[in-house]
Amino acid sequence: MGRLVINSVSKRFNDFLALEDVNFEVAEGEFVCLLGPSGCGKTTVLRLAAGLEKPDSGLLCLDGKKISGVNKECGFVFQEYALFPWRTVKENIEFGPEVKGKTSLECEKISKHYIDLVGLSGFENHYPDELSGGMKQRVGIARAYANNPKLLLMDEPFGALDAQTRNLMQSELLRIWEKEHVSVLFVTHSVDEAVYLGDKVLIMSARPGKIKEIFDVKLTRPRIRTGPEANIIRDRVLKSLVSEIKIASKPG
Amino acid sequence: MKIQQGKKGLVINLLSLIIFALVWQLLVILARKDSFNIPFIRLGDIPTPIETWFALVGSMFIQLHGPGFTYGIINHVYASLQRVIEGGIIAFIIGVPLGIGVGYSKLIGNLFNPLIEIIRNMPPMAWIPLSIFIFISGGSIFIVFIGVVFPIILNTVQGVKSTDPRLIDAARTLGASESMIVKKVIIPSAFPSIMTGLRIGLGVGWMAIVAAEMVIRSPVGLGYFIWNMGDLGRYSEMVAGMIVIGVIGYIMNISILLLQRRFIKWAD
Repeated sequence: MGRLVINSVSKRFNDFLALEDVNFEVAEGEFVCLLGPSGCGKTTVLRLAAGLEKPDSGLLCLDGKKISGVNKECGFVFQEYALFPWRTVKENIEFGPEVKGKTSLECEKISKHYIDLVGLSGFENHYPDELSGGMKQRVGIARAYANNPKLLLMDEPFGALDAQTRNLMQSELLRIWEKEHVSVLFVTHSVDEAVYLGDKVLIMSARPGKIKEIFDVKLTRPRIRTGPEANIIRDRVLKSLVSEIKIASKPG
Repeated sequence: MKIQQGKKGLVINLLSLIIFALVWQLLVILARKDSFNIPFIRLGDIPTPIETWFALVGSMFIQLHGPGFTYGIINHVYASLQRVIEGGIIAFIIGVPLGIGVGYSKLIGNLFNPLIEIIRNMPPMAWIPLSIFIFISGGSIFIVFIGVVFPIILNTVQGVKSTDPRLIDAARTLGASESMIVKKVIIPSAFPSIMTGLRIGLGVGWMAIVAAEMVIRSPVGLGYFIWNMGDLGRYSEMVAGMIVIGVIGYIMNISILLLQRRFIKWAD
């Protein structure tokens, strides 16, 4: 479960064509990274998959069902965490089960499971402001998982973290993903991150956003970040990306 | 509003009050000895801080004179506070839901905004004559209501509108319905603003009640007390009443600030 199909999707904001004829697929249990220059519409792809935006044309399907209205089968992880500051770690994680009408006993059970999974035991009753960036994103991930999604949508989730924390969180994410086995669509602007994490790396072209190239990363996990195979793939991905960045950074 | 923190701050705070009282005492005494003269101001007629202090202590509690009695300042404070709290509660009950509606829904906003914008520019005092003839009793509570309700509405609207849209998106993707979003995201997010509105509103209400009691001539209340003492030429009592108003307004403000800090642990 958790197969996302995006079929010739276009999206326009006023006079600005954000996405044009985007086609790709996230297979069941697959980890797909979406890479592209800033402003190419990566986030828009995620928002469409989450049902937070409607496509102007084309079709998005999750497990064969058309996505229309907010997609409650997916979990969204935001770059700036978007945690509810008035709720403790535990209460943040329980938000999804709570609004779905689960009893407080069930909520308790779910939050305990995911607090343990993301390694936040002992911080249940802390408020987000009392946590470091890495810990906040652990809450963000746990909150998304607590809703039992079929697909996880992640919008540069580690973009605001320092390099060390970022590496650690990448490994942690893979550990969790291997346990829970939910499909992931992961937006990033870091080639290293994409090649370390993804089964597939999609390169998006500059305005309007299109899928330019798809790389299969057939490396066994745990991957060695500086291994020779990783370096070869990284080099190819980077070349593909750089030409797009040049286009994107031209004025106008 | 900032409360000075620490011992050193407290000493400076107290010092400023003491210096003010000393300057006041000195100016009045010198004026009474004709040491100086400011044209058109009868500075010597102002009671000194010491006279004011004795007037305050002397009229603090209810006084019996044979069969009759005079209310003490305590009674006047109680009556005024009660009106402010009653008017404040009504304003809160009406202002908060209205502010949430106006802030959240374009339709409700368009419906109420012109009305709110016009009425909020009429000062509470301008409503006093009307309230005298339409309210058989409780006119001063209505004046307080007018004073409190607009700061509450405006701050609630502001709080609702400044809710982080990403939090709303997060709630949506987690399966929250529109009513859940209002209840579990918009209201908690706007809560600090709502409390600020209440704090500012009660400040305005406290000023409005004194004016209302002066004009409406309730038999008890700080505004009535000050006016009455002025009429009777008991200026020390009159000034004591003025100081009581200031001190109580200050205490109200700080109490709500402290309450806010207790409730909103997450915003520290």
